[in-house]
Amino acid sequence: MKKALGIIGIFAAIFLFASIYGDNFLTGLNLQQLTNRAALCSILALGASLVIVTGGIDLSIGSVVCLAGITTPWLLVEKGWTPMQVLPLVLVMSAFIGLCHGLLVTKLRLQPFLVTLCGLLLYRGIARWMTGDQSQGFQGEFGDVRALALAKFSIPGIENYRIPATVIPMFVLALLIGLFFSRTVWGRWLLATGRNESAARYSGVPTARLITLSYMACSLLAGFGGMLFIFDIGSAQPSDFGNFYELYAIAAAVLGGCSLRGGEISVVGVLFGAATLQVLRTTITLVGLSSQLEFAVIGAVLLVGVAADELIRRFSARRRERLGAPVSA
Amino acid sequence: MKKLISIVALASLSFGLLAASPVAGVESDLVAAQKARIAAFKTAPKKRPHVAFVSNGVADFWTIAKAGAIAAGKDKSIDCDVTVEFPGGGLADQKRMLEDLVIKGIDGISVSPIDPTNQAEVLALIAEKSLLITNDSDAPKAPRLCYIGMDNYDAGLMCGKLARDGCKGGEVAIFIGRLEQDNAKRRRQGFIDGLLGRAPDATRYDEPSKVITEAGYTIVGTWTDSFDRAKAKANIEDVMIKYPKLALMTGLFEYNSVLAVEVIKQTGKEGKVQLAGFDEGADVIAAIKEGFVLGTVVQDPYAYGFESVKVLSAFCRGDMSMVPASGVINISARVIKKDNAESFWKDLKAKIAAGKESGKAPSKNSGK
Repeated sequence: MKKALGIIGIFAAIFLFASIYGDNFLTGLNLQQLTNRAALCSILALGASLVIVTGGIDLSIGSVVCLAGITTPWLLVEKGWTPMQVLPLVLVMSAFIGLCHGLLVTKLRLQPFLVTLCGLLLYRGIARWMTGDQSQGFQGEFGDVRALALAKFSIPGIENYRIPATVIPMFVLALLIGLFFSRTVWGRWLLATGRNESAARYSGVPTARLITLSYMACSLLAGFGGMLFIFDIGSAQPSDFGNFYELYAIAAAVLGGCSLRGGEISVVGVLFGAATLQVLRTTITLVGLSSQLEFAVIGAVLLVGVAADELIRRFSARRRERLGAPVSA
Repeated sequence: MKKLISIVALASLSFGLLAASPVAGVESDLVAAQKARIAAFKTAPKKRPHVAFVSNGVADFWTIAKAGAIAAGKDKSIDCDVTVEFPGGGLADQKRMLEDLVIKGIDGISVSPIDPTNQAEVLALIAEKSLLITNDSDAPKAPRLCYIGMDNYDAGLMCGKLARDGCKGGEVAIFIGRLEQDNAKRRRQGFIDGLLGRAPDATRYDEPSKVITEAGYTIVGTWTDSFDRAKAKANIEDVMIKYPKLALMTGLFEYNSVLAVEVIKQTGKEGKVQLAGFDEGADVIAAIKEGFVLGTVVQDPYAYGFESVKVLSAFCRGDMSMVPASGVINISARVIKKDNAESFWKDLKAKIAAGKESGKAPSKNSGK
């Protein structure tokens, strides 16, 4: 939780700023939409964090989002498959992609950067070829399946805010991942693998299996996220759907306290990292800043935020040293 | 010191050379050189020319254009090989594809340039080594022999008037993929002028960041998304939150209108927020039929593809007679409303099916 304090502080500062200066920021509908976007981004970021914790990286997340997201309406609408066939197939396909990544990294000892960079190109290429570059959408049908992302649940006593359905998988996944790291031996082993793979392996930890499982989980969540994204948006074009989503997912994970060197994770931090990115994007519109400034504002605010967080940490550590208290990692 | 003097001298020389380079002259020379080559084809026509059609991106719109281009190649009176390229990676991708086609020795290229101002070199290269025409989005300052498409300012005007007829005032928001390309700028300006009932003037330019209050309307802004649909949807949602009294919006690229329909449905604002659309998204046409979208302005991408190949093929046989003095072969846009939505949709579906078929059957005429 300590690792997440920095990003919670940044989130709170941006939220406060948006509440004061953004038009209608605190309306129920805006908060509802923000929750939905944050939940979708969180699912990808949680997947990214599972690979980052091993010291690896997955650059193919956006392309897996694309392939899974495009395949879903393509099979449902163009090929006439049923949701009961399509949904499991897409999830299995996503997990299989992760299995390939994991085996290439652990058995063939290829660099994760290289493996997933090739994946980034490969999966988008497949999606474009498969659909002939045609946009894929639900054409007003499959409302019951799309409800997985579009359904909203009322809260008794609150009128203008309804909880988006995407929050449920986000919380379930966050809870499972949190319990995995805090309550299971496998979770501890995975952290140990990320900190020092050789040491963990010599201690009897099945590092190759754990790393492979991490890549599988990451791609599975990317595929699942891709399905939810397409359910939410309704249609997508294979050439651009999911572009750069891996960077948002990795940014959210790292902002949330995952170290790119591996061995560190904060599930709460990842959720706040994803939420911060979404709140920041919305703030730019509601405050009335030019949309051309979006990337510049996101980059500048996050850089200032993490720099301030790091300086506060160092200051606190030095203070504790001076007072003779043990320094926490 | 000697080094410094040489650097200054070199810099001055380069500057002098740049300043002295007759850019406009080079362009007209390139047009003249292309015309001379076409004139030479009169006596020695190409037996079976190989021409290319290059889009500015990947979209259903371009699949229909591709069907037109392939059909033209198969037409007995035109008879030529056709290569169709869809750059999926923006400006850099389009530049690479164009250069590769020139290297391949293509006889003529019809391109929709993404950013004509900054693509002067590659467009000049095509004009130098092959024959250059533009489609969909013009590059009037480039050495192109003609432009095939609609006038995007006029199409924007149509969309603006459609909006003006259906919505008598209030706050208006504009959504568009990007503003770099010529057609986007002109389309947006046409929409603004048409909505506000101004006298048409294609040279007028309202800054995208400026709020315009005029004739009972307040245009609150223009939002771009660089083709990220999630971002495009978020833009629409956020603007509807920021401006709860929003009366009208327009999506000036195909998917902007599709997503606007999606958000209107999701927020239950059917009939409360009006939409004047652009292009022929399936959901937009369905919403027009249902009655909660005013209408949409559609182009004729099939004709863009067909005419491009026809014109280039004629050039390769020494015939330039179909190019008017203005250099613009106009293919007008039209407005689809509730009364003609059904017939338009049937015709469009047939063309899309033809486009898909043309992509499946590899032959000398097939596209890539």
